[in-house]
Amino acid sequence: MDASYLDLVMAQQEETFKDAEGGGGVWVVAESAGGEIAPVTLEAVGVARTLAESLGAYVYAALLGDGVRLLAETLYQAGVDGVRVADHPGLSPFGLEPHLGILVDLFEAEGPEIVLFGATEMGRALAPRLAQRMGGGLIERGTRVSLDPSSRTVEAAVPMYGGEYFEVLACPEARPQVLTIEPGTFARPFMDRYRKGEPTMLDVEPGEPAVRVLGPAEGFRPPEVGLSEASVVVAVGRQAGDRARVERLAEMLGGRVAGDRGAWDAGLVEADQVVDVRGVRVSPEVYLAVGIRGDTFHDAAMADSAFVVAIHADPDAPIFEKADLCVTAEPGEVVRALLTALG
Amino acid sequence: MDFTFSREAKALRRMVRAFVEKEVAPIAAEIDREHRVPLGVMRKLGKTGLLGVCFPQEYGGMGAGEVGYCILMEELGRVCTSTATNVGAHIGIGAMAIHVDGTEEQKLRYLAPLARGEQFAAFGLTESNAGSDAANISTRAVRDGDEWVVNGGKVYITNGGYADVVTLIAVTDPALGARGGVTAFIVESDWPGFEVAREEDKMGIRGTSTAELVFDDLRVPHENVLGKVGEGFVTFMKALDMGRLTLGAACLGGAQAALDWSVAWARTREQFGTQLAQKQSIQWMIADLATEVEALRSLVYRVAWMVDTGQPFTELAAMCKLYGSEVASRAVDMAVQIHGGLGYSRDYPIERAFRDARIAEIFEGTNEIQRIVIASRIFREHGVRISP
Amino acid sequence: MRILVILRRVLDPAGLVAHARLRRLFINREEYLIEPGDHAALEAALRIKDGGGAEVVVVSGQPEPDDDTLRRGLAMGADRAIYLSGAGFADADDGVAAEVLKATVERLGGADLVLVGMTRLDTGQAQLGPRLAGALGWPQIVGAWSVEIADGRIRAVRRDGDDYVIVETDLPAVVTVPAKALEPRYPDGARLINVYRGEGGMAEAVLQWDVADLMDPEGLVPLLEGRGRDFPPERERGVRVEGSIEEAAQAVAEALRGRRPG
Repeated sequence: MDASYLDLVMAQQEETFKDAEGGGGVWVVAESAGGEIAPVTLEAVGVARTLAESLGAYVYAALLGDGVRLLAETLYQAGVDGVRVADHPGLSPFGLEPHLGILVDLFEAEGPEIVLFGATEMGRALAPRLAQRMGGGLIERGTRVSLDPSSRTVEAAVPMYGGEYFEVLACPEARPQVLTIEPGTFARPFMDRYRKGEPTMLDVEPGEPAVRVLGPAEGFRPPEVGLSEASVVVAVGRQAGDRARVERLAEMLGGRVAGDRGAWDAGLVEADQVVDVRGVRVSPEVYLAVGIRGDTFHDAAMADSAFVVAIHADPDAPIFEKADLCVTAEPGEVVRALLTALG
Repeated sequence: MDFTFSREAKALRRMVRAFVEKEVAPIAAEIDREHRVPLGVMRKLGKTGLLGVCFPQEYGGMGAGEVGYCILMEELGRVCTSTATNVGAHIGIGAMAIHVDGTEEQKLRYLAPLARGEQFAAFGLTESNAGSDAANISTRAVRDGDEWVVNGGKVYITNGGYADVVTLIAVTDPALGARGGVTAFIVESDWPGFEVAREEDKMGIRGTSTAELVFDDLRVPHENVLGKVGEGFVTFMKALDMGRLTLGAACLGGAQAALDWSVAWARTREQFGTQLAQKQSIQWMIADLATEVEALRSLVYRVAWMVDTGQPFTELAAMCKLYGSEVASRAVDMAVQIHGGLGYSRDYPIERAFRDARIAEIFEGTNEIQRIVIASRIFREHGVRISP
Repeated sequence: MRILVILRRVLDPAGLVAHARLRRLFINREEYLIEPGDHAALEAALRIKDGGGAEVVVVSGQPEPDDDTLRRGLAMGADRAIYLSGAGFADADDGVAAEVLKATVERLGGADLVLVGMTRLDTGQAQLGPRLAGALGWPQIVGAWSVEIADGRIRAVRRDGDDYVIVETDLPAVVTVPAKALEPRYPDGARLINVYRGEGGMAEAVLQWDVADLMDPEGLVPLLEGRGRDFPPERERGVRVEGSIEEAAQAVAEALRGRRPG
């Protein structure tokens, strides 16, 4: 069987989902960015599907924006059963009151059990207002989500102090249960490109946002984050390879470049970038040691890192005793491949 | 007996610690390397009101008493002995002399700006021939109408290079000597005849100004006599007593820091397969020092409480200085040993702490003098007078 | 102009150890910080006050003995402090807290601006500010890096993706402030001492209100409940990645996914 025949067979078996009847269900408030459905929305759909299955309910999505109708297709492919679209110029860019008004009307009619948002700028602004307006409970930034089937209550593990431990929270009575999830926490669901559906278009007249955007904040510089406070550090040793690639890797990860004493001696980093007890102590979420051998002075200065990845050509390099993940290979090569894998 | 710090004291410590960690810690190594006074930090400290921590609020101070002052010195001593020394000379002896014996008018005129950190103070006692033998000073002040004309000089004056106000002591009647022949004055450093001759290049506390002052027909108005004419030593001894207690507090901070650094290193460093902390020799060094630090802490804060409740404390303050300086020296010596080569490296703060600690056994009255003060008081209770 | 700043306290994480293997939380040193976002919010309020003509009121509802949070706020320069006490409020979740704070604003006779931290250090929840805005029916600005008042309007700098934009709305409004936005000032020394001794007018500056006087205790039922604690898996060090360079890179990328802060 070759691929084209398979395509044909699958095409014949395409089901066009008639939009599932409303009422209850697990809803996702979708976000779009750059003409595509935001990755966090897809992750939320994945979570919604798991919850809906345990509940025996359908998964719906609310998609608000300007010129977003065609994006409904992506949501169906991700596994949404019914998409409600509000497509109106007044809905872009995001404004709280216009979005909130439409969602409240929609949810008052539909009565969702659970509503999911991404924990994004929009989610931080919108989810609590929705919960407040509808008398629902809100758990933000859940990382592990499960269902207590007897009470149809979601239990979400919320990271405390940035993930030192987790408090499991639930909203046993109030409805809807609103949740936000951090981007990158959950896996994307399988995208079935043969799954199609017809979204319901909502007839809306969005209100005016109360907050006006005046324009870019020219000359505004946020306070500098010192190396000791950086949440991602990419540290180089003498064997790190192409420095420019490392810079790009750091940028991609939203991190800062640092180095060990050897790197400083070799002129690869400045004195205030040296991770060493005699230099700067760091405690990032992620520490990437690229071509660093490791020694007491360096290791003690990054011992508080939450997660350490070490890349070094020598399998016996002392750094590997301190790393969570060890890659024995040419650091320069790994950085190159990593740029591709992440990019 | 309630040995807990009050909520006010805890709040003060929290505030000071936040300041010290943010403002002092980042510059501590730099001011030592560059041999300069942290004037910016001193000004910021002034703005918070901490440079008047123990002075009454009606003179621009905080009114937190000696306990508050000891907390400030302890927290500074933990991080930067140089800064602690600048502050100690300013508050503890320079301004303190005006606090103990100044007239109302002198306090409003001089103490208030010092308490608010708008001006800085120094204390001018020591001369080249008068160190421990303070009575041997020869700087001369001669009455001329309603002014006094001062000639002479002082050496090793902390803050001398930048102080705006100096409380100094001069001989006003050579025939009477220390009892009745010496007077304290408040002088301003921008008056004609006041000169900063040179700065000492020191082993440690290199973030301080230790200056030689020269007075060449320096004219001081009579209303700037501090205390009574001829009773300058009384005023100065009162000021020194207060200063000694708080120097003990700074030494407490330094010793605690040396202990903390050593414990941290002992946890981190592994040799022969185990951490240093697992080795008895290290454990005993730590245990001994920790015991001494606790004893010093109890002593310092008890004496501070006694000052705040109006009880006599002279020999106890001397004990604070004596014991504090010796514990601090033992502490930094131990810290260097525990850190090994790293403790000797200029890239790490331990060697600076080692160099900084040594002066505490010498200035503000050498430890020999402190011993004489203590012994003197003890024997006096039994009717025996000791002559130094 | 009256600015209300909400001050919450959080346990200092430096005194906490979460032991993954024993699956227990050890509180070695129980000390509290002012929630860093709220601390920055107070600084924002004080900067507006520095410009003239504003009264800053801090409010907190933490259980005894921590009217310490309020005292710190007064020492920094707030004019008045309201300590909300009463059964049920200490454990309040954000849903309840928002209703109580709304009642507080009304009992105070109104306010022009409410400032609060954006995201709590401990729970990572950012819902209090917006919930309060909803309860009051006021506009909200979430995540203001700087705040300015002019002509009865508020201007703030807010993030928009990777950029920063200026936004504006009419007062009264609720504004949430990120912890890193502003460096909070040091308390004034003399004021700090007076706050603790109740001198210099500081005793009169603290008001204690019972939540039961503000609203029906029925409304104090929390929406959320705790269902236990979970711990991250014990760190497994020294995991070697096998395979080709490309496979290794994939494994690393996978491991980094979800660990990178948003």
